[in-house]
Amino acid sequence: MAAFLERPRTVEEALTCKAVRPDARFLAGGASLIAMRNAGLVVPDGYIALEGIEELHGIMQSPDGGLRIGAMTRHRLCAASASLTGSLELVRQAARQIANPPVRNMGTIGGSLANADPGADYPAALSAADAEVEIAAAEGRRRLGLADFFLDWYETALGEDELLTAILLPAPQAGPSAYRKLARVSGDYATASCAVVLDQDGGLRAAIGGCGPAPLRSTEAETAIRGRLHDAAAIADLGRALVDLADPIDDVRGSAAYRRLLIPRLLASTLAHLLRQEQAA
Amino acid sequence: MLIEGAFTVAAPRDKVWPMIRDTELMAACLPGCEEAREEDDGRYRVAVKVKVGPIAARFLLQIEILEEEAPLSLHCRTRGEEGSRASQLTADSLVRLEEGAAGETEVTYRSDVQVTGRLGKFGLGLMRKKADQLAAGFVEAFRRRAEAEAVS
Repeated sequence: MAAFLERPRTVEEALTCKAVRPDARFLAGGASLIAMRNAGLVVPDGYIALEGIEELHGIMQSPDGGLRIGAMTRHRLCAASASLTGSLELVRQAARQIANPPVRNMGTIGGSLANADPGADYPAALSAADAEVEIAAAEGRRRLGLADFFLDWYETALGEDELLTAILLPAPQAGPSAYRKLARVSGDYATASCAVVLDQDGGLRAAIGGCGPAPLRSTEAETAIRGRLHDAAAIADLGRALVDLADPIDDVRGSAAYRRLLIPRLLASTLAHLLRQEQAA
Repeated sequence: MLIEGAFTVAAPRDKVWPMIRDTELMAACLPGCEEAREEDDGRYRVAVKVKVGPIAARFLLQIEILEEEAPLSLHCRTRGEEGSRASQLTADSLVRLEEGAAGETEVTYRSDVQVTGRLGKFGLGLMRKKADQLAAGFVEAFRRRAEAEAVS
C-alpha cells in the first residue's frame, strides 16, 4: 500500500490530521526520516508534511527581544542568520557545521530536535543558549526547557499527539559564544561537541553534545566557576563535573572512554578561544 | 555484543530457582514481553516489543534450553527475527545462581547477542544502551517479585 501524504496549512490542521491518523509521521525536512525509511528502519503508513504551514517558517524577534525560530526553519537559514550573534552566535555556528549543503538545505531545526540524535549539533548549542521549545497540542501550547525536553536515547517529551512548533531563544547578549565539534570527517555527526556562552559577569554556560542521550550541563559547576574563567583548576573542575554526567556510547565514532577524554579538552579549548576573542574585542 | 551482570536477591536459592523456570513470571518481569509460552520440554516461544525513538521492533523468539543443572545454572540458546525477517537475532545465554550470605542468592548472567539485518544498521553502541536498560528493568521487576514470593 502506498503511503499517503497530508498537507495541512495550519498547526491546528496538522494536529487534526495526526488525531485522525495516529500512525502517520510528521514530515519536516525529511533529512533523517526519509533516510531511515530508505534503510527500512521506519515504515510509516503516511506522512503529514509540515512544509505548507507558514507560521513554522523563519526567524522572528519576540516582543521581549528574544528570538523565535520556527520549527521548519532550514539549517541553511540559521547558518546565515544575522540575528544569531553574540551570546547566540553558537547557534549559527552549530547550524553551519551540520552535515553537508544538501542536508542543510533540507533539514530543519524542529526536525533535528524532535529526532534527538545524540550526535546532532543543535542540542548542545541550544542547551548552552538556554533555549526553550514550544510544543502544540489540541488543548493548547506549552513551553519546555531543553533539560526537560530530552528524556532518553532518541526519546523526547513530545507526545504522540503533539507537534514541536518553535525554538525560543532569550534576547542576545554581548557574548561571545562558540560551538565546536570533533568529528571523524567534515559533515559527520559529532563524536563529541562543546558549546560555551560567556556572560558579562565573569560567568559561563557550557554544554557537551554526543556524550549521552541529552546534552550535558551542570548549573552547579557553572556557578562554581563564576569569576574564575582563567583558573585552570576551576576549568578542570567544570570538565570533571561534565564527565561525571556523561553516559556515552561505544560506536564507530569513538569509544565511550575516548569520548570522556574529549570532554575536558573540548571544554578547555573552546573556553580559551572565547577568552582570546573577548580580550581582542 | 556481550551483555553481562549480576544482582542479589534477598531470597534463598531453592526459592529463586523455580522462579527463573516459571515462564509466566519471567515474561511478566521482562519489559516489552507480550507473549511467552512453553512449546514442549525446554523450548519456548516469546514475543518482545522494543522501541528506540521512532524505531519500533517486535521480536519473535524461540528459546531452547541446552543445559540445566538445578538449582545452579541454566544455559540456553535464543533464535529469532523481527519485522518479517528484516532482522535476525541469536543469543547464547548463561545464568548462574550462587548461594550468598544470610539466605540471599547471587544471580549472574552473561549473554552473547548478535543482531543482523535492518536493526544491525542502527549501531551496536545504542543497542547496548537499550539492552542495559532492558536488563535493569528485568532485574528490578524480578527482584521485587522474588522477594515478595519468598516471604509469603
